[in-house]
Amino acid sequence: MADWKDKDVLHVSEPKLTALERTYLPQVVAGLGTTLRHMFQKKFTLQYPEEKRQMRVQNYRGIHRLNRDDQGRVACVACFMCPSICPAQCIYIVAGESPWPDREKYPVKFEIDELRCIFCGMCEEVCPVDAIELTSEYGLLGYTREEMLFDKEKLLKLFDLTKGYKPRKGPKITGYPKPTDQRGTSTHEGL
Amino acid sequence: MAMIIINGRAVECAEGTPVLKVAVDAGFDVPFYCFHPGLKIVASCRLCLMEMRSKDPKTGEMVWSPRLIPSCQTPARDGMEVRFDSPNVRQNQRAVMEDYLLNHPLDCPVCDQAGECWLQDYSMKYGNALSRMTEPKTVNPKKSVGSKTLLYQDRCVLCSRCVRFCREVAGTNELCVIRRSSYAEIDAFPGIPLENKLQGNVVDICPVGALLDKDFLYKQRVWYLKTSKSICPNCSTGCTICIDHNNGRVWRLRPRTNRKVNTWWICDEGRFGWKYVHSNQRLLAPMLKGARVTWDAALAAAQQLLAPAGKAQQGKGVAVVLSPMMACEEAWLLAKVVRAAAPQATLVTGFVPKASADELFPVGLTDQAKAKFIIRAEKCPNRCGVEAVCKALGGPQATFADFLAKAKQGTFALAWIVGGYSQEWVTRDCSDALSKVSQLIVQDIFPSSLSARADLALPSCAWVEREGTFVNHAGIAQPFDRALPPPVGCQQDSQYLYRLAGMEGLYRAEKVREQMLDKVAELRDLWTPPAEARGMH
Repeated sequence: MADWKDKDVLHVSEPKLTALERTYLPQVVAGLGTTLRHMFQKKFTLQYPEEKRQMRVQNYRGIHRLNRDDQGRVACVACFMCPSICPAQCIYIVAGESPWPDREKYPVKFEIDELRCIFCGMCEEVCPVDAIELTSEYGLLGYTREEMLFDKEKLLKLFDLTKGYKPRKGPKITGYPKPTDQRGTSTHEGL
Repeated sequence: MAMIIINGRAVECAEGTPVLKVAVDAGFDVPFYCFHPGLKIVASCRLCLMEMRSKDPKTGEMVWSPRLIPSCQTPARDGMEVRFDSPNVRQNQRAVMEDYLLNHPLDCPVCDQAGECWLQDYSMKYGNALSRMTEPKTVNPKKSVGSKTLLYQDRCVLCSRCVRFCREVAGTNELCVIRRSSYAEIDAFPGIPLENKLQGNVVDICPVGALLDKDFLYKQRVWYLKTSKSICPNCSTGCTICIDHNNGRVWRLRPRTNRKVNTWWICDEGRFGWKYVHSNQRLLAPMLKGARVTWDAALAAAQQLLAPAGKAQQGKGVAVVLSPMMACEEAWLLAKVVRAAAPQATLVTGFVPKASADELFPVGLTDQAKAKFIIRAEKCPNRCGVEAVCKALGGPQATFADFLAKAKQGTFALAWIVGGYSQEWVTRDCSDALSKVSQLIVQDIFPSSLSARADLALPSCAWVEREGTFVNHAGIAQPFDRALPPPVGCQQDSQYLYRLAGMEGLYRAEKVREQMLDKVAELRDLWTPPAEARGMH
C-alpha cells in the first residue's frame, strides 16, 4: 500500500483576498446594516426582573409543590415512590399512620433538597395520587443551604400560592375505602 | 432415591418428597402460596397444579391425565412424569391469579409488603394485566389480631399458613378461618388474641400483605433495606437471623432458615430484642477514672494497669471475666491480652443470665426431641464458646460464683470485667464482692455501678456492630457478620483487643479464627446454613 496518509489528507490554503476585500470596508458596512435592520424589528429581549416571561404552566419543570386534596389535607400517601425513583436522591419522607379514616399512611415529614434536585420531573410522573407536582415557578432563591431544604409546610404553601393558575390535575386520592359494617356495599375508589 | 421427570428433565429426589418441593429445589418456576416446608400440606391455593402422566384405564397406555393435580400434595415416586409448562397448567395459573385479585384492593403503594409480596411477583409472572371484574370490590378493613400484629383481610389469599402455624408450631390455636367461600376470612377467636411467643413468624410466612408487624409498620419500604446475616444473641439456641438495616439503624429482624438450629422460626423475644442497640444510654467513649479520654490514652492506660499487677506473683491477683455475650474470637483475644501481661491470671466465664426453664413449642410439650422450637432458659448466646476458649487456654479458671466468692476474700488486685448484656446485670452481691478488688477495668454496653467506679471503662458494642462466632447450647459454632458500624466514638471490641494484642491492621474474625483452630476444637466445623430455594424458607 502506498503512503495512505499523503493520499487521504486534503491540503487547503487560505483564499487570496482581493484589493477591495483587503480594506475590510464592505464587511464593516454590511455589519452595520444588520444592526440597523434589527433596530426596527420586533424585540425579543425582556427587561428581567421587571418584565417576566409567560411560562408554559402545564409542562414547565420548576419548584415542587405538595398538593392538598379537596378537604385541604396533604394528598401524599407516603408511598415512597418519589424517593425511590429520584435520581438525585433529594426527597426525604418519614411515614406515619394517617389520622384520617380513609387513608393508611401520610407523610409526617416530607422534605425536598431543592439544591440537589435536577428537576427531571420523575417524582411527578411516578406519584400514584398526583400529590407531588412541579410548578412553573423558577425563582429558587435563598441565603443559606438550610433555606433550600423545603419542608412539608413550605411545599404545601407553594400549592396554595400556585393552585390559582395550576389546579391539581390528578385523580381522587387513593384512599383506603371507608369502613362499613356491611360487606360489599361500599365501592372501592381505587387506583 | 427416586428419579422423576419434570417438564421433560430428569430430577433426582428422595422418594415421597412433595413434587412441588422437588420442582422448586431443582429450579423450576412453580407458583404457590399455601405450601410451607415447616407446615402440614393443605393444597388450598390451587396455584401449583400440574399435569401428570398416568395409565389410561381403557387402553393401558400412559397418557397425560386430563385433570390437574396439586403438586404439593403429590409425593414423588420413581418414574413419575409431570409437567408445569403445558397450556392447561398455564391457563389454571392465570385463572387462579385472576380470582385472587378479584377483591384485592391493589393498594401496593401503601402496603408494607410491597417489594416482597408474592401476589405482586406472581401477578407479573403468571397473572393478567387487567381485571375483568366490574362489580364493586368487597371491603374488609384492617383489624388488630394481637398486640403486635395487624390483619388486612382485603389482601389475604387464605393460604391458611398463619392458622396452621398457630396450630402446629406454636400450639396455641389463636387464629382460624371463619365463614365460608368468598366470605371466608382469618380471625382470632373472641377473647383469645394472637399473643403467643412465636407470633411474629405469622408475619414472615404470610406471602402477601395481610399480616403485618405493628412494630415495623410504615417504618421503611423493604427495597431500602440492606440485609446482614447474623445470630440472635438472646438465648443459647442461637437462631440464625437476617438483620434488615439501613442508614446505621436496625429496622427489623427476620429468621434465616437453618435446618440444624431454628428451622424457619424465631421467637418474639429475639425478634423485638434489638431495641437496646439504639438506646441513648449507651457508653460511647472510654472513661479513665470517670473522665473521657481518647482511645490511644485508654489503651495505654489498660496496659499500664495490667503490667504491674501481672508482675506480682506472675499475675495471680489478676482475673478476667469473659462474658458469654462475647464472640469466641473476642474472648480469645482478651484472654490472650491479659495472659500476656499476667501468665497466671484467672479466666472466668461471666454471668450467665437464666430464665426459670426452657420453653418448648408446641406449647405444653415436655419432650425436647419432639419440640418444633425451643426458647432456652439460658439467655446468652455463647456460654459454650467462652468455656471452650477458657478450656483451650488452660491455667487457673473459675466460675462466676467462685470468682465472686474469691473476690470477696480480696484475692484479686485487678479484674477485667466484660458485660455486654442488654439489661442491668450488676447485682448488689456482685458489686459488693467487686468492691474488694482494688483495680477494675470494665467493658460494657451500658453504664452501671461497676463502670462508674472502674479505673478504666471501655465501651462495648452490641452484637449487630460486631462479627465473630457463637457456639450454641449444642456445640454448633455459627459465624455472624457485622450489620452496623459502631456508634460514633466507639470501636468494635475486637478491634481494640486486637490492637492490645499487638496485632496490626483491621480486625477480621476469620483471621483470628485461623489462629484459634488448633486449640479450640469447637470452631473446626463452622455451620452456615445453605441458601434455600425461593419460597422454601
